[in-house]
Amino acid sequence: MKKIIAIAAGALLASGTGVALAQSHQDAKTLATDVCSACHGPTGHSISPVFPRLAGQQSGYIIVQLDAFRNHTRGDPNAQAYMWGMSSQLSDDTIKALANYYASQKPVDGKPGTPALMAEGKKIYTQGIKAQNVQACDICHGPEAQGAGAFPRLAGQHVDYLIAQLQGFQTGTRSNAPIMQNVVRTMTPEQLKAAATYAASK
Amino acid sequence: MQQGKLRMFIAAFAMVGSGLLLAPGSAQAVPSFARQTGFACEACHTVFPELTPFGRRFKMNAYTIDNLPQVSGMTPTKEQTLALNQLPPLSFMLQMSYTKTKGALPDSNLVPGDLAKNGQVLVPQQASLFYAGKIAPNFGAFVQITYDGVDNGFAWDNTDVRYARTVNDKMLWGISFNNNPTVQDPWNSTPAWQSPFDQRSSVAPGPGAATLLDGSQFDMSTAGMSVYAYFNNSIYAEFGAYHGAPNGFGQIDSAVDVPVIDGLAPYWRLAYEREWGRKSLEFGAYGMVAKVFPANSVQTGPSDKYSDWAIDSQYQYIGDQHLLTFTGTYIDEKQTLDATFGAGGSANASNDMKTLRLNASYYYQRKYGAALGYFSTTGSEDSGLYAQGDPVTGFANNKPDSKGWTAELDWVPYQNTKFALQYTMYNKFNGGDTNYDGLGRDAKDNNTLYLLSWINF
Repeated sequence: MKKIIAIAAGALLASGTGVALAQSHQDAKTLATDVCSACHGPTGHSISPVFPRLAGQQSGYIIVQLDAFRNHTRGDPNAQAYMWGMSSQLSDDTIKALANYYASQKPVDGKPGTPALMAEGKKIYTQGIKAQNVQACDICHGPEAQGAGAFPRLAGQHVDYLIAQLQGFQTGTRSNAPIMQNVVRTMTPEQLKAAATYAASK
Repeated sequence: MQQGKLRMFIAAFAMVGSGLLLAPGSAQAVPSFARQTGFACEACHTVFPELTPFGRRFKMNAYTIDNLPQVSGMTPTKEQTLALNQLPPLSFMLQMSYTKTKGALPDSNLVPGDLAKNGQVLVPQQASLFYAGKIAPNFGAFVQITYDGVDNGFAWDNTDVRYARTVNDKMLWGISFNNNPTVQDPWNSTPAWQSPFDQRSSVAPGPGAATLLDGSQFDMSTAGMSVYAYFNNSIYAEFGAYHGAPNGFGQIDSAVDVPVIDGLAPYWRLAYEREWGRKSLEFGAYGMVAKVFPANSVQTGPSDKYSDWAIDSQYQYIGDQHLLTFTGTYIDEKQTLDATFGAGGSANASNDMKTLRLNASYYYQRKYGAALGYFSTTGSEDSGLYAQGDPVTGFANNKPDSKGWTAELDWVPYQNTKFALQYTMYNKFNGGDTNYDGLGRDAKDNNTLYLLSWINF
C-alpha cells in the first residue's frame, strides 16, 4: 500500500497543465481535447445531438457564437446550461485559437434521410418557399451547406441539433440571429425537418 | 471463549445494525460543481444524483473542469503550481423525511432508538456539508460530512479525492482515493450511487442481510485507492484496493464498532459503454475480495473472507422532454467465515449470498418522475448468522432472504430541489413472508411509505 501511495504521490507532483479556461495562452488543441471534447467529441465529432459537431465548422461562426455565449446574447436552454459557464473565462485570443482548431478538423460526412424528406428539403434549401416568404438556404449557407464566415456549416451536422436551433429561432429562445428568426417564422415543423435533413446530408 | 462470545455478539450486532441502517442514502448532486463550471445541474445529471454521459466524464476528469477566476501560481518554466477557485466550492444539503411502516414497531427491542415509532418525522434526516470541486490542476475532490438525524452525530460520508489526466482525445486516466467501494464509479448501476432508489428511509426496518458490496457494512471505515483509465469514450477499466480505516472515517463524534478489512482487499471494475444519439448503454463487471474482521474492536486472529463478483448494466435515453433510465446489477458472493464460524457465530463455515436489483425510472421534462424497482437478496440457510430471537430483526427461518418492490413518484420543481414519495413493499423479509421473526411479524408489516424533501444549495 505504501508503495502504491508513493507512486500516486509522485504522479500528483508530476502534474502539468490543468484544464482551466482562464489562460488565454493555453494551446487550443489541449483545451479542445481536455475540455470541449467531453461534449463535442474528439476533434469535434460529437455523438449526442444535444451538442453540435464542430469539425470543419466556419471559424467566423464559432467566434461569433462563443462571443454570444460569453456575453449571454445567445440564450437558448442548452446555451445557458452549458456554454454560458464554459465560455465565461475565454479570452478573445483563445476563442480565435479554438475556432481555427475546429475549422481545420475534418468534418463528418452527411447521411441522407428518407427520399421524401430529402426531396422536400432540397426544394426548400435551393428554392425557398415563396408562398411563405421563406428564402432559399443556399444563398447564405452555400450549395454544399459548407457555410461561409459567420454563416455556419450545416453539412454533416446532427439533424436533431439543426431542428432544435430552427425551433429556437421560431420560439425566440435563440435570438442572436435575426436573419434566421425572420426566415423560419412561417415554416411548419415538417418543413423545418425536411430542410434540416437535407442540409445535414450534404 | 469469552472473546469468542463477544465477537459473535458484536458480529451479530454489526450485521443487524448495518441492516437496519442499510443504505440510508447518500447524495451526489452538489451546487458547488455548478458554481465552479457554470453548468446548470442538467449538464451532469438527468435528475440528481444520476449522472449523464457528460457527468460521468466530469467525474472521471477529477471534478476539475472550471470556469471561475483563479488564484494562480506558476514556476519560471511555466509549470502551473496553483489554480484555486477564488471561492471555495462548498455546498449544503438538507433532507427532511417522513416514514411510516405498515405495521407499527414494537416498543421493546434490542437497539432502543434505532427502531423509531411509526410516523417518524426527521428534521433533518441528513444535513451535509460538501467540499466538491477543484483543488489544483487535474486534482479535485468530493468530500461530504453529514449530520445524521438518526445517529444524532456527524460522520464522514462519501469521499472521493481524485487526480486525472487526459492523454489525448482517446484516453484519460486517473487515481481515486475514496472511502466506500463503488463510490468512485461513474455509473448509477453500482451500489453506492444506485439510481433511482439512492434514498431510502433510514428509520424503517431494512433487510438484515446484504452482500458486502451492496450493503453498507463498512460504514465508510475503509480507505481505498484505485487507478482507472477510460479508452475511446467506451472502455473503462479500474483496479485498486481497500484497507481498513476504522479510525479514519466513520462517525466523527462517537465510536461505531463496524467490521473492518484485514489487510488489503482488491477491487476491480471493467465496463463498456456505447453512446449513440441521445442514448447510452453500459455493460460491466466489478468485484472485490475482502478479508474482514467482524468488529474493529477485535483485529487479531482469523477473519472472514468475502468474494463478490458482480455484473451491471445501465441504459439511458436523455431527450428534451422524456428521460428514461434502466439500471440493474447482480452480485454473487462467497463467504468463508473463519472468524465468525470459529467463534460460534455461524452454523456453516462457508455461505453464499446473491443480490439482484432491477430498476426503471422515467422523467418528464426533468420535473415529474416515476420509478419502479425490484430487489432481492438470497443466501445460504444458517441458524447462527440468521437466528430467531429478536422482534422485527430476527430470522425465524434462518435464511437471509429478502425480496420486494419499490415504487417512487418525484417532483423536481427546481434543478436542485426534489420531493419524493416512495413505497417499499416486501414479499419476503429476513427469510420469511409471514411470521418471519417468529414473533408474529409479517414481511408486509415492514412495507414503508417514505416522503422525502431534498434540497441542495
